[in-house]
Amino acid sequence: MGRDTRRTRLVIAALLVVAFTLITLDYRTGHAATGVRGAVHSALGGVENGVTAVVRPIGRTVSSLAHPNRYHDRADRLTQDNAQLRRQLADDKQITRLAGELASLRLLADRGQYSIIPAKVIAIGDVTGTDWTVTVNAGRDDGVTVDKTVLNADGLVGTVASVTAHTAVIRLACDPNSRIGARLERTQLLGAVAGGQGPGSLVFTLYDASFRVQKGDRLVTFGSLDYVAGVPIGEVTKVTDVGGLSRTAEVRPYVSVGSLDLVGVVVGRPPADPGDRLLAPRPVAAQPPPAVTPAPSGSAQPSGTPGAAAPGAAQGGAG
Amino acid sequence: MLDMFDSAETIRVRTFAAAIGLLVLALVAQVSVVARLDLPGGRLDLVLTLLAAIALIEGPLVGSISGFVVGLLADLASSHVLGQSALVLCLIGYAVGLVMNEAQRSVAVPLAVIGGASVLGTLAYVAITSILGEAALTGGEAFTRAIVTGVYAALVTPFVYPALLLGSRRLAGNRRRSAR
Repeated sequence: MGRDTRRTRLVIAALLVVAFTLITLDYRTGHAATGVRGAVHSALGGVENGVTAVVRPIGRTVSSLAHPNRYHDRADRLTQDNAQLRRQLADDKQITRLAGELASLRLLADRGQYSIIPAKVIAIGDVTGTDWTVTVNAGRDDGVTVDKTVLNADGLVGTVASVTAHTAVIRLACDPNSRIGARLERTQLLGAVAGGQGPGSLVFTLYDASFRVQKGDRLVTFGSLDYVAGVPIGEVTKVTDVGGLSRTAEVRPYVSVGSLDLVGVVVGRPPADPGDRLLAPRPVAAQPPPAVTPAPSGSAQPSGTPGAAAPGAAQGGAG
Repeated sequence: MLDMFDSAETIRVRTFAAAIGLLVLALVAQVSVVARLDLPGGRLDLVLTLLAAIALIEGPLVGSISGFVVGLLADLASSHVLGQSALVLCLIGYAVGLVMNEAQRSVAVPLAVIGGASVLGTLAYVAITSILGEAALTGGEAFTRAIVTGVYAALVTPFVYPALLLGSRRLAGNRRRSAR
């Protein structure tokens, strides 16, 4: 195939040049061709939505074949978690008593203030398999906007990275570019949770070297203008301290990426009408381990300024 | 020798259309169906597998062009840097197309080539994302993942490859392949 080889080479050379140009352009300018992207996204999103609707039961069956005990395990785990949480609540009696009213008030407030748009995961990742994102079937028309917090019954899922009219792409908490403000249970110490370690693990950095992070400590989101506070993130599994100006630890997220299905996009804290919204699918399994620090910051609003992080340091040493 | 480019223009257009259509379907199926299966150890890369099979049957030109087009579409449909999967898929399509003449020698060749293409493609994805500074996996993880992807690809090849071969012969109206 003599002459064809030459022609083929020409073609592939041209294609490679185009590809490199695109990569360079897009990499340099941030995001080129957003319009086209949006169009492709919504077109494919529609197809994916249909495909998912048809295929979901089949996929479920197949995957339950591949992991026979998955749902049993999950049920077991959930009941275990439930029991554990109950026990914990009971164990922490003095704390519970101390802050009893405050905690329940705050719990209530936390619950009431999330308004959630339920959404179904319609695509996981992308073709390269290197993106830690999922696509859901709620979009701008449903009220989803960029940067909102996304959670499911287990806890924090991620944040909204981009939206089209009827779909939204969610950057999972384990994405290497993801960085989410977090605080330790029972303290007001600010830190950040970053991804990049694969789906089963996050890296928590605490911006206060004087506080000892311990295995088993739990994390919730810190909250800011866009992100709501108090969403459970995960549990510290290993302290990988570096002894510098901050502490780092490995965190096992509560949410398992493989089993994501129904998620909720938190679209508003301010209680527009908290009553109806809460009836939506199990809003937040938020037992944000009742943040007991007698946070004098007034309402449940942990005001966007991370400067208010200090007070819990000394007292939190007990935990 | 094969004279695939001497066949009528319409056949080539149809071949391209069929290849690209098939790969677009694979694209949707990949994120909506395969990713949902949560296969143990890694995942099956449907697009890479199909692309390798198509390139093996139709040669480097069809392989590289359809790879590029579908890659570009995939890039547009995702949130990463534009053009990266276009580049990878284009190269894979071309490289696999180069060995199309070996495919008739033994049954093992398509298996090895398609499996290998999946491994290489996965590694290339990881390489290019880490070059662009968005590394999502460490080297070791990427490697195991690539191997697992290759194994899954080799597993589905016995079903996919003959079907595509048959389809390709149908498209070409026996003209091109009758020599075999």
